[in-house]
Amino acid sequence: MTPTPRRSRNSATIKDFAKAPQRLNAWLFTEMPLARVALLRVAVFAFVVIDVLKLHTSGYFHGAADPVWYKPLVIGEILSLPAATLLMVGLLKWGSVVFALAAMTGKAPRALGWATAICWTWYQYVAFAYGKVDHDRADFVIALFLLPTVGLAHLSDERKSQAAGFALRAVQLAAIATYFLSSIAKIRFGGWEWVNSATMARAVVRRGTWVSDWMLDVPFLLHAAQWGLFSAELLSPVIFFLSERWRRRMVLAWYLFHVATYAAITIAFYPHLVMMLAFLPLEEYRDTAVSRWRRWRAARENQTT
Amino acid sequence: MARGTGEPDDVTATAWRWRAAASLLVGLGVVLGTVVGHDRWWPLAPMAQYAFGVDPDGEIRSTYVEGDTTAGTTERVVFGMDGIGLGRAELEGQLDRVIADPSLLQAIAVAHSRRMPDQPGYTELRMKQRVSTLVDGDEASRDDVLLAAWVVPDPEDPQVLDR
Repeated sequence: MTPTPRRSRNSATIKDFAKAPQRLNAWLFTEMPLARVALLRVAVFAFVVIDVLKLHTSGYFHGAADPVWYKPLVIGEILSLPAATLLMVGLLKWGSVVFALAAMTGKAPRALGWATAICWTWYQYVAFAYGKVDHDRADFVIALFLLPTVGLAHLSDERKSQAAGFALRAVQLAAIATYFLSSIAKIRFGGWEWVNSATMARAVVRRGTWVSDWMLDVPFLLHAAQWGLFSAELLSPVIFFLSERWRRRMVLAWYLFHVATYAAITIAFYPHLVMMLAFLPLEEYRDTAVSRWRRWRAARENQTT
Repeated sequence: MARGTGEPDDVTATAWRWRAAASLLVGLGVVLGTVVGHDRWWPLAPMAQYAFGVDPDGEIRSTYVEGDTTAGTTERVVFGMDGIGLGRAELEGQLDRVIADPSLLQAIAVAHSRRMPDQPGYTELRMKQRVSTLVDGDEASRDDVLLAAWVVPDPEDPQVLDR
């Protein structure tokens, strides 16, 4: 056997660069399990139901606001969306719930998925077209509109598809773009000195909890946290270049960051937390959980008989 | 073709083309939104949560609306579902509009009389701001500033103004 000449992995040649578009294409359309999409859909639609009923309700009371307070966003001007009424917010709210519950069955994934997407997105629009826009909800719009494109996907599906791969990849990209673009927005609005400003101290002053209030007495800590957060956001795209094992560790680290944020200032970017699930092999976790549970039950039955 | 049998519908040339086009458009929109956009571009708005620096020697402003009533009292207007259907931060997002056209405050008088018909109506509404000046992070002084005032015509039964 003649040894094939090996090139060092780091020496990129012009040929490699020329192949970049193909490699990007192959990466975007990597075949991924349909069962993962089916599980992510369940999480996304379940979240829609909880969100409109419990978490984010300002869209609803805008139905009661005088139309003079309606301040259309650009998309509302393009689509000439009218000011909210109680009837409209009722339809959007319950439309979101009914379509999302129906979509969770996995039937008619495109029609029900897009119906949910339109109702939920419009409902968010109503919430944001009265003077204040929340920034943690835009990436979820991408998930809602993209997941239906995969078509039928059963929870016990064993197939893989490129359409599934693209949808999951796009959700991952949108989720990470949220972090990365947050750091760009900090540079744009706060300037490079943002990391040295009192932004976190102000947040703790206004919304602090017993977990975080003591940090005001240790200003160094909040200052360091600002540097840490900014660096993590700016470097977040690195996640796509890591090994699978480190990628999952990084997702876990982000989840821990969000837990810490919630403990400190009771703010959680809920839709975004659902998006981050797109990085995880949900169907493997499900299978492991199910088989563990079966073994545990079998062991218990053996004990009792 | 349910339950994982057969070949899944895969990405055809047409399907590839519109995915590529949509990705480019959304990607471009998001980047533009972050670099030059603002909140009104939602869902392409910049991710500006906590992006603003806070000057430890600056000031903190909080907006409120107070109303004189037909009973001769002065009270704070209630925001949110139980009040005018608008949150405080949302009114703060529309300050310029109200300052330019104080007659917008008429909507508050109308909403109040409809939702709480037993309460005395508003005769005059004033949108104000409490300005706290910080020195080294501590509140050194505070001041109340009038931003807009509106005398309500027919306070017993205020009507929506023609626009």
